[in-house]
Amino acid sequence: MKTRTASAPKRKSLTRGIVITAMWIVTYFAARFVLDKGFPAPQGVKIATALLPILPTALFLWAVVSAIRGLDELHRKVHLEAVVIAFPLSILMLVTLGFLQLAVELPAENFSFRHVWAFMPAIYFGCLVFTWRRYQ
Amino acid sequence: VKNSLRLLRAERDWTQADLATHLGVSRQTVNAVETEKYEPSLSLAFKIAKLFGKSIEEIFEADAIENEKTA
Repeated sequence: MKTRTASAPKRKSLTRGIVITAMWIVTYFAARFVLDKGFPAPQGVKIATALLPILPTALFLWAVVSAIRGLDELHRKVHLEAVVIAFPLSILMLVTLGFLQLAVELPAENFSFRHVWAFMPAIYFGCLVFTWRRYQ
Repeated sequence: VKNSLRLLRAERDWTQADLATHLGVSRQTVNAVETEKYEPSLSLAFKIAKLFGKSIEEIFEADAIENEKTA
């Protein structure tokens, strides 16, 4: 009798995730480098460069949705609960930094409401750990 | 909701992973159902009942308070 659920799809999903994340990192930093250096180029090329990370981002979203669809009901519930907590927390962070921006000038390069997106995965995974604890 | 899943699994000498494989869910889900931290969906409850050849009511039992409410 099999004592373990098949791990091949998990491994495939993980590999896909790593490849897409690597693609995103490469295209994001390449686009940032090219645009920040201000190389002379037609506006169309600049726009295309700026939108370059969109493709791996869309692939990443597709991979996440595919992975969620492959989960069982408890895992889906846990992820849903994590999103339900993480989403308002992200909005709270955005609103807090937005209001702070009215009073003090937050440096756009370091820490401002523009960077909330970077904290969203951390907030989400924090909420995931929190919600998992309820079912363990 | 109380259940006798652990007992039924032990009767067959299955591990949680074995039961999870039979039900097509993760071991964590089986554990959460057994420890009554998670109430399975109706479809999973039917799967469990079918697997053990029992009715849902024979495996799952509403808590005492719930029984009083419905009485």
